[in-house]
Amino acid sequence: MPSTLTLDGDTSTLDIIGRRPQLQVRVGDATYTVEELPASDDGASTLLINGQPYTVWRTREGDRIHLKLDERTFSVGYQEAVVAAAQGGNAGNEVRAEMPGMVVDVMASAQAEVAAGDPLLVIESMKMQITIAAPRAGVIETLHVERNSSFQKGALLVSLHALAE
Amino acid sequence: MLKNVLIANRGEIACRIIRTLRRLGIASTAVYHFADRGAPHVAAADHAIELTAEVPTAAYLDVAQLLAAAQAAGADAIHPGYGFLAENAAFAAAVEAAGLVFIGPQPEVIRLMGDKIISREFAVTQGVPVAPSCKQEGALEDFVAGATAIGFPLLIKAAAGGGGKGMSIVRSAEELPAKAATASSEALRYFADGRVYAERYVERPRHIEVQVFGDGQGHVVHLFERECSVQRRFQKIIEESPAPNLPAALRDRICASAVQLAAAAKYRNAGTVEFILAPDGEFYFLEMNTRLQVEHPVTECVTGLDLVELQVRVAGGEAFTLQQADITQTGHAFECRICAEQPEHDFRPATGRVMTLREPVGEGLRFDGGLREGLAVTAAFDSMLAKLIAYGENRAESAARMREALNELVLLGVDHNVDYLSRIFAHPVFLAGELHTGFVVEHAPALTAAPLHPDERAAVLIAAILGTDEFRRLAYDCPEPHASIGQWRN
Repeated sequence: MPSTLTLDGDTSTLDIIGRRPQLQVRVGDATYTVEELPASDDGASTLLINGQPYTVWRTREGDRIHLKLDERTFSVGYQEAVVAAAQGGNAGNEVRAEMPGMVVDVMASAQAEVAAGDPLLVIESMKMQITIAAPRAGVIETLHVERNSSFQKGALLVSLHALAE
Repeated sequence: MLKNVLIANRGEIACRIIRTLRRLGIASTAVYHFADRGAPHVAAADHAIELTAEVPTAAYLDVAQLLAAAQAAGADAIHPGYGFLAENAAFAAAVEAAGLVFIGPQPEVIRLMGDKIISREFAVTQGVPVAPSCKQEGALEDFVAGATAIGFPLLIKAAAGGGGKGMSIVRSAEELPAKAATASSEALRYFADGRVYAERYVERPRHIEVQVFGDGQGHVVHLFERECSVQRRFQKIIEESPAPNLPAALRDRICASAVQLAAAAKYRNAGTVEFILAPDGEFYFLEMNTRLQVEHPVTECVTGLDLVELQVRVAGGEAFTLQQADITQTGHAFECRICAEQPEHDFRPATGRVMTLREPVGEGLRFDGGLREGLAVTAAFDSMLAKLIAYGENRAESAARMREALNELVLLGVDHNVDYLSRIFAHPVFLAGELHTGFVVEHAPALTAAPLHPDERAAVLIAAILGTDEFRRLAYDCPEPHASIGQWRN
């Protein structure tokens, strides 16, 4: 599940691609090995990224993360991840559940036009709430679930079709 | 000795005055607007009295409430700090009329020096050099004709102004009428006085000022000079003492001029005489600031004197016996003004909240702040948050300490100029001491943050995302399959 961060007006996605033996994070097209050392008494922590040490001071304020990395100060915008749960494999016309769960909110309505990334549903699975986003632009053909309905892994949640020419 | 001093100010200068009062065993009374109720100066003082006003700054400008607060607290003196009422002659007079001591110069001296035109004329009568100039006597058209006769470029200013308001550079006769009209209307808006004056504009000038101190009877000493040429938007951001690359003989002449002017005015307490220094070594009187300056700490570092202590002792009636020969200038000091602003957007003021603050600590360092974590930084007050002062045996050592301290200073939650200041302290021209008031503009490209290498940018983003609980759970808590699809919300 990629996270979206904005720095100096440019947006990047970060994704975890491995956890053991060390955390591996993909930023754009590059992959980085990440290791955190325990924080010092004064609150600074040390981060090893591809073995390169960085001293980090950090504070979060809503959707912004303020940090000082070594000698420079940054303010990074953070958007809570919108999950495109049905990415890949189905040409983007079918949004299927990757695990069993329940629908807690429905934002989409049948026959409505959506853009890629528009939130369609919020589902709850394994104590997690996940926003299901449109995998591509199109028109919602059928909503196969409604609020409070439950579903099994692999169930079809939303069908899309392409926009009319 | 005074018993209880009310500080008619806020922020770092109120905190700084309170520190000296405490060391001298004098009680301190702070005043505050509701918006400042959690501010450090309120907590630091022995007493604190709330002033009411719809607009926060209005509270600190309310003479009647300040006097009432002083009476209520049993204060015997008022220290105005800088800004607000510090150079308001009517306030100084009202304080004295209320039977209190005003810690500063005589009201009539504030009035004399507060008017740029009158103070220039006074300087001329004392033989202190002033730049060729022209003042507005009557209609704006007559002023334009007179100003043209000086030659270009010209600097137009508000007669009653300060702080860069109503100031502009005019390079040709064609643009003079429009710029004069603009300056006049700005002067009217900011200072309720539309009169303007023009003077020769010195290209690549340096701003050199001299700290003076007088007993009010004509005995005046100087505490040497400060270089304040590193400015943005006509406002200082870095000051130092001594001024670099200033020949000793020229320094002596500038300091002697300052003393002569202040002595002629029978100046009492601390003041600063500002000069413009031209590349050819000519210098011109600019103005006199009749108060403690923001940048007084660099003078304290190199002279070993506590200016607030001197102010309080003289105001309390002690004889001022310090002689010029007793005052020495040793080592080198820098001050940086830490401001809530965005240097990359023309130094636009910024607002926010101080989320994390780590003040640098080390040999030769001083941090004059009025900050604490959790404090809101609003547009209600000046954007200066704190001052960082570094002292060393020489300019190179002091600059190295400042750079390291700027890099160590952690201030998160509001945009600020700390990284920008650090880049200035890495700039070879700055380090060579080749300064003029256009330094910041001239070196703007070199002072811009270097673009991040993709790996550095990735490091910033990884460091940032590790500050979110959502990502940390995915990275460290979740079993592999679940982590790949969502985030915990409970």
